[in-house]
Order: sequence, then structure tokens, then C-alpha cells
Amino acid sequence: MELINPDVVDLSRFQFALTALYHFMFVPLTLGLTFMLAAMETVYVVTGRQIYKDMAQFWGKLFGINFAIGVATGITMEFEFGTNWSMYSRFFGDMFGTPLAIEGLMAFFMESTFVGLMFFGWDRLSRPAHLAITYLVALGSNLSALWILVANASMNMPEGAHFDPDTMRMQFDSVVKVIFNPDAQAKFVHTSVAGYVSAAMFVMGISAFYILRGQHKAFAARSFRMAALFGIISTVAVITLGDVLGRLDYEHQPTKIAAIEGLWHTSKPPFEPWLAFALPDDARQENHLEIGVPFVLTPLVAHSFDTPITGMTELEEQAGPHIASGIQALSALRRYGQGHDPADLAQFRAHEADMGFGFLAMRHAPGQDVTAISAAEMDSVVRQTEPDILPNVFVTFWSFRIMVFLSLWFFAVFALSAYVSLTNRLERNRLLLKLCMWSIPLPILATEFGWITAEAGRQPWTVFNRLPTFLSASSHGVGYMIFSLAGFALLYSTFIAAELFLMFKYARLGPDHGAHGAQGPHLTVAHDRKDAFSIASSLSS
Amino acid sequence: MNIMRLAGLAVALVVSLLFAVFVGDQGPWYFAWVVGTVMIILIAGAGAILLDAQDEQTPEKEI
Ligand code: HEM
Repeated sequence: MELINPDVVDLSRFQFALTALYHFMFVPLTLGLTFMLAAMETVYVVTGRQIYKDMAQFWGKLFGINFAIGVATGITMEFEFGTNWSMYSRFFGDMFGTPLAIEGLMAFFMESTFVGLMFFGWDRLSRPAHLAITYLVALGSNLSALWILVANASMNMPEGAHFDPDTMRMQFDSVVKVIFNPDAQAKFVHTSVAGYVSAAMFVMGISAFYILRGQHKAFAARSFRMAALFGIISTVAVITLGDVLGRLDYEHQPTKIAAIEGLWHTSKPPFEPWLAFALPDDARQENHLEIGVPFVLTPLVAHSFDTPITGMTELEEQAGPHIASGIQALSALRRYGQGHDPADLAQFRAHEADMGFGFLAMRHAPGQDVTAISAAEMDSVVRQTEPDILPNVFVTFWSFRIMVFLSLWFFAVFALSAYVSLTNRLERNRLLLKLCMWSIPLPILATEFGWITAEAGRQPWTVFNRLPTFLSASSHGVGYMIFSLAGFALLYSTFIAAELFLMFKYARLGPDHGAHGAQGPHLTVAHDRKDAFSIASSLSS
Repeated sequence: MNIMRLAGLAVALVVSLLFAVFVGDQGPWYFAWVVGTVMIILIAGAGAILLDAQDEQTPEKEI
């Protein structure tokens, strides 16, 4: 493999991060709102009260705007794997392509078909049939996300695949192992439930806006209460699954967990503090201005009181033998490729587990060829490669903390809101209502920082311990990358602007808007719904 | 008709049980997601129905 221009790698990474983060501004609402709509419609079907149908239709209209604009933003990423990450796709496509293809089928056939039926089926389907469709939309959108997270988990914790020295690719072994990979499970639940939190805050915040203005009281009170209860349980679930993810990182991605915790040196249990604040200095490999809570780190990360957690300096030292072994793996692989000698294959197999570290050493090898490293140079190449195993600690440390601090905020806001709503004292708690309104974007922000934690923390690898990021990109020119990056930034910013414009417009208009506006609270959403949906569809197409 | 319905429900029950046993064994967090999501929906729905009941008792109350 030849090295790719580092500027192109950085630009490819930046482009992927940008498109993924834009895309994920839309996804959480889709994941969560669909189940909230299902909850509202369930109450409608059970009680027969019109107001719950109005709720399902009004919040469904806002969901429609988000869905129509957001769905298109994900497609570009699937193409980016081929255009910008062709080396990665070649190496890992067998593993990654399968779940991605299933996702495409789910998103297009299941989700989109049922979304259409959900919007246009109110007057054509029986109540239970429509309810079933709404549940299928919710299931479909979350199952689409499942496959993406299965694919992402296979990059973070590759299971169910092996490297084939004849094809030079990772080959798929077991679909069960890939789907039931513990990381995939935890990632799916954490991300899906993060969507529930986002949707709950969205519905609660807009309902708070109506209550503050004294509008649509019965509608807003019910939406608020359902959202508060939905949100508080989801927040507890997202925190629980966050802990599971941390534990999995501790077991399988020690560099990521050490970076998340800003742990430069192996911890000293049980006293080791959990750093609530610090300024990690990547260049000097130390933290400035540490503020920690003693005795918390060990039980939090290792779920024990006496297990030391390996620090980044020690992880670097431990990587040395793996780098040397990886260099041997690559040398044996090169010889095997030329002569197909079983002895070379056997030698490769003996060092195969460290092959990724051999790739990592390429940057420091003479002529970027690890087979050209002499015995005298070996030590120096290994030493130079060691620090490369660490991610950017500042970014990983702070993105994690922002996500975690926000989740504590959500817990407080939802718990208080649920309590105040259950005791019917919403109207006199205006400050709380304002806080709910201002908190609408925060879960989406937490989600974005969650992704930054997961992906920045995985560096320097695209496939953890197997394939470095700098070897994964395509060999484009810098000009092409800048041009496409600017194009995406412009296009996606337009999508976001359109989304915000439509959301603000329709949220302000409220549930009584439209043909039925003058007729009181009973909403005939059919006209409106098509209205919003057609605007949104035309924007996305 | 009733027997058919009963048979249908019995099949659904058996399928659910098999699903629960397999997913609970292979993927405990997936299983937790299914159960948890149903629970979240039911609790949110119950909250709304409780509000209807509170409304009926004291129609002029604040919200
Ligand atoms: C105490 C609370 C939380 C903890 C301990 C936590 C923990 C984590 C960890 C360790 C990761 C990285 C997983 C990996 O290595 O790949 C992660 C990722 C993520 N988090 Fe959180 N998290 C918390 C709260 C939240 C909240 C409130 C949200 C959003 C509402 C959120 C959304 C995400 C997302 C979208 C990802 C990326 C996808 C994934 O890797 O699962 N997290 N979280």
C-alpha cells in the first residue's frame, strides 16, 4: 500500500466529519419522534379522544419536515466510502458493505413506504391499521440506524471477520457475530435512546412555548406530560448504556478510554480522581488545571475498586513489541505475495494479530516501506511510531465531558418537568418552561459530541488496531477535496436553514393552523400535512 | 372464528417467547431496547390518560 498525501487524508476526514455531523442533526429526531407519535396514537386508539389524534398529526407534521429534509443527507455518506475512502472500502468493504446494503434496503423500502402510508393513510386506513403503520415507521427508522451502528461497531471492535492474505482484505465470517457484537448492541441502544431524548426535549420545549403564551393549553399540557415522562426514562437509559459503552471501551479500546479520561499515567486505585475539568496538552503529554473528584475513576471505568487503568504513556510503551511484530507480519506478507511460500505464510500468521501496527509504522520507515527497515533502524522506527497510537486527547476528553454534563442537565430538566406536570403546576413554573424551550437543541448537541467522542477516540485507526486512517483514503487531489467540501458545506447549510425555517414556521403556527384554524382545537390536519410534506419533499428532491 | 383467533394469539405468543429467548440470550441489550421502548411508550401514554382523569375531576384547574 502506498501512503496518501496527508492533506488529502485530513480533508477527507474533515469532509466525512462535516457530512456525518450535519446528517446527525436530523437523525435523532427521526429516531425518537416516530416512537413518540406511536405513543400518542396508541392513546388515541385506546381512548378514542380526538386530541391525541391531533397531537399525532401535528407532531407528525414536524417529523415529516425533518424526515424529508434529513433523509437525503445520509445518502452522500454512503457514496463517500467509495469516493473518498476507497482504500478502506477495499480492505474492509466485505464487512462494512453488508450491513450498509441492508440499511439501504430498510431505509428505502420499509421506512419510506410506511412513512408515505402514515401521512396519507389517516382517512384510508382503520385506526388499528394506521397505528400499526406508525409503529412500523418507528421500527423501520430505528432498524435503519441499527445497521449503520452494526457497521460502525465492526470498525470499533472488529468481530466476525478474518484477514485473507491472498485477497489482502478482511473477509466476512459470521453474520451473527457481526450483528450481535456487544459494541453494536450498546451503540444501537445508546444512539436510538439518544434520539428519544432529543425528540422528548423537542416536543416538551415547543409545548412549553405554547403554555408560556397561553395557547393550545389542553394540547400542550398533554404533549408536555408525555414528553417529560418519555424523556426522563430515556435519559436514565442513555446514561446506563453510556456506562456500558465506557466499559466496552475499557475492555477493547484502551487508548480511547485513557484519552476520554485524560489518563496519561496508569491510575492508582482507589484514590484516582475522575477529572471533571482539565486541559490535556497532547504535545507535552500532560494535563493542565486538573479538577477531579477523588475515588470515582476506578469504579466508574473498571467497575471495581482496585483495578488500575492503564495510562497512555504505558500504552505507548506496551505498543512497542506489537509494532515490531507488525513490521514482521508485513514483511512476511510481502514475501508471501511474491513467492507463495508456506513458510512465509506461517510467519505471517504468527504475527498477524499485530499487522495493523506494522501499517502504522509505514510513515516512519525508510521510503515508507517497512520491509526496508534494517535491524539497526528498527528500534528508532518503533520509538517514532509509539506515540502515533494515541488519539487527539483534548478533543476526545472534552467531547465526552460535554456529552456527559449535558446528560446530567437533561436528567434534571426532565425529572423536574415530569414532577411539575404530574402535579399540574406547569403554568406557575415559567422559568422551567423557558429552560425547556432553550434546551431543545441540547440533546442534538450531545449526540454530535457523542459521535466525536466515538470517532475521534478511535483514531489513529479506521478499523481499530487493523487499518490506520492515513492508509484508508482515496488518492484525490487537494483541489478536488476542497471543492467538494465547499459544495457539501453550502448544500447542507441550506438544508439546515430550510429545516429551521420550516420548523419555526409550523411550530409557531401551532396545531390549530390551517383550514380548521377558526374552528377551535379540533384539527383537520390533512390539508396542512400535505402542505408541509410537499414543501419538504420538494426541498429534498 | 374464536378458535382461529385463539390459535393466532397462541402462535403470536410462541413466536414472542422464542424471539425473547433467542434475543435475550444472544443480544441482551437489543432485548432491553425492545422491552424498554414498550415500557417508555406505555408510561408516557399512562401519563396522558392520568391527565385526562385529573381534568375530569377538576376541569378548571391549572395545567
Ligand atoms: C452519562 C452519560 C453518558 C455516557 C457515560 C456516555 C458514554 C458514551 C461513550 C463512552 C461513547 C463512545 C462509544 C464508543 O467508544 O464508540 C458515547 C457515544 C455516543 N453518545 Fe454518549 N454517553 C452519555 C450520554 C449521552 C447523551 C445524553 C447522548 C445524546 C442525547 C449521547 C449520545 C451519544 C452518541 C450519539 C454517541 C455516538 C454513537 C456511539 O458510539 O454509540 N450520549 N457515549
